[in-house]
Amino acid sequence: MTNHSPTDWKAFFLRFETLLIAVLLAEIIIFSRTAENFVTTGNGLEIIRLSVELGLLALVMTPIILTGGIDLSVGSLLGLCAISFGKLWRDAGLPPVLAAILTLLIGAAAGGLNALLITRLKLPPLIVTLGSFSLFRGLAEAITRGVDNFTGFPPSFLFLGQGYFFGVIPAQLPILVVAAIGFWLLVHRTTFGRSFRAIGFSPEGTRYAGIPVDHRVGLVYVLSGVMAALAALIYVARVGQAKADAGTGYELLAITAVVLGGTSIFGGIGTVHGTLLGLAVLAVLKNGLTLSDMPSELAGILTGVLLLSVLAGEALAQSISRRRKQSPPTPTISTSPKPQT
Amino acid sequence: MKRYFRELSVLFAFLAILLLLAFRAPEFFQPSQLLSMLCDAVPVLIAACGMTLVIVCRQIDISIGSQFALCSVFAGLTASSGLPMPVVAFVAILCGAAMGAFNGVLVAGLGIPSIVVTLATMVTWREALRWWREGEFVSNLPENFQWFGLSQQVGQITIIGIAILLFLFLAFALKHLSAGRFVYAVGSDKEAARLAGIHPQKVTFAVFVLMGALTGLAALLTAVRFPDVDPKAGQGLELKAIAAAVVGGVAISGGRGYLWGVAAGVLLLSSIAPALVFLHLQPQWEKALQGLIILLAVAADGWRAVRKKD
Repeated sequence: MTNHSPTDWKAFFLRFETLLIAVLLAEIIIFSRTAENFVTTGNGLEIIRLSVELGLLALVMTPIILTGGIDLSVGSLLGLCAISFGKLWRDAGLPPVLAAILTLLIGAAAGGLNALLITRLKLPPLIVTLGSFSLFRGLAEAITRGVDNFTGFPPSFLFLGQGYFFGVIPAQLPILVVAAIGFWLLVHRTTFGRSFRAIGFSPEGTRYAGIPVDHRVGLVYVLSGVMAALAALIYVARVGQAKADAGTGYELLAITAVVLGGTSIFGGIGTVHGTLLGLAVLAVLKNGLTLSDMPSELAGILTGVLLLSVLAGEALAQSISRRRKQSPPTPTISTSPKPQT
Repeated sequence: MKRYFRELSVLFAFLAILLLLAFRAPEFFQPSQLLSMLCDAVPVLIAACGMTLVIVCRQIDISIGSQFALCSVFAGLTASSGLPMPVVAFVAILCGAAMGAFNGVLVAGLGIPSIVVTLATMVTWREALRWWREGEFVSNLPENFQWFGLSQQVGQITIIGIAILLFLFLAFALKHLSAGRFVYAVGSDKEAARLAGIHPQKVTFAVFVLMGALTGLAALLTAVRFPDVDPKAGQGLELKAIAAAVVGGVAISGGRGYLWGVAAGVLLLSSIAPALVFLHLQPQWEKALQGLIILLAVAADGWRAVRKKD
């Protein structure tokens, strides 16, 4: 691993985010020509409305990846929470508010299971959340026996996903805005959040610096469970029904948004606003292609190509700058990065 | 004995399920039932062998499900254009190896983390296939395609036989050939491997190519079981393969794992679905039980490691 001075990284990130903004602008210019109703306030708000669930997952995935972890179980947990909410409301006869609170607690408990296995038993997050990815989706399927679904929710609950304030602002928009500001402040403006990056760089070093690493790491996974439950509530309200397959593949989209936003998958480096930019690039791409009557598969292909070209460009730029410095290869003793997860 | 405790416990879990079935549902032990269960396990076993190499090398490949679907469609199209079976097999394996090489170049050559690279290729291949085929099945396959033109039972035995031979060869190669030891060396400590004269980049690249080629073979051995080729095949194969490897005792942090343990993992995980059916339980519990087994297996690993430290 090469050592970059802080200024190096700063310059790099300036460039990285400029690149993302350039991609976003290019998308907007292209789609404004190919799609008729693309550049309208209504469509802009619609793009945000449809990406709130994904946005919440991507926001909480950022501190997780910053600590060098990953959470593959959020999509499955979204499904399990959607089913739990439906079950609590319809079969247990609870009022929606109480069912929603219990669903958030279920999310926290599920996140707590991940947290417990990762911090207490020192297990790699990739494998723990791969197991709970299966477990949570499997429980959702088992509860519904693969066929049952929940519909007919009261309008007061559906407002959360389908309603508009003043006829224009989607009801779920304030939730995303509050979550975005909250996560930005947490990661960038609190000592608590700053420790996530320190953990990502070196968990041992952070522990010696007196920071309770296990406690902090565990907390992010619990938070991830709560956000997945919140996303589930919004999802159910938006779609109007709860099925066991809700949120399938959302974990990969959330990770894509985070990585596209410049967060290093090894942890330690990344920003919340980068994630929001990555999310915007993905959401605008999908919406623009749909409005331009282009095949929806193109969104997936372009996402993959974009992700690879951004990272390949980053890797090439690094190796060129390394060559330009022409520093002789210094012998490195056990500076290999922590085990890849 | 103690050294293989991890692998043996998985094998015992599998035997326990068989024992339970023997008492509660002896009708499970019909040859046709066993053959079909083993046939279902073949693609997972082959993919899990490749995945073991990838994980031992301290990498991961989550794109194999999409590779699998593309390879099946290519195999089906080659067969329906009238080319002989060896060419079909060659095309399927080559197609997989090419996609593996693409991952390999990005991971080994450019140094991009494998989980991100294969996440991107997973989405790209899958969506490209959907765009190209629009979900259309490949039909009009020639007579000699399904079961290689043999009877069903002989075809099943052939498929299982190929998988077993391949497994034995890979298990031997990983333990006794220098190429196999290189994989462990690179996964244990890349820098030490480099100083010992191994090219970590070449080994990593080769592992991804092999992973792709094995996926191609797994796709071929699955495609020949059905009258037409499903373009949605292979969804979730990557997770099944990783789960089997991890349950079978392969350390996700690289450098440790035995193929026979992985085989036990494959058998254990693929016996859940038929066991649920034969014990008259809800088959919808399969995924939840698989997740539970993965978590239990890794939790046992973690528990032992933590206790050893104290």
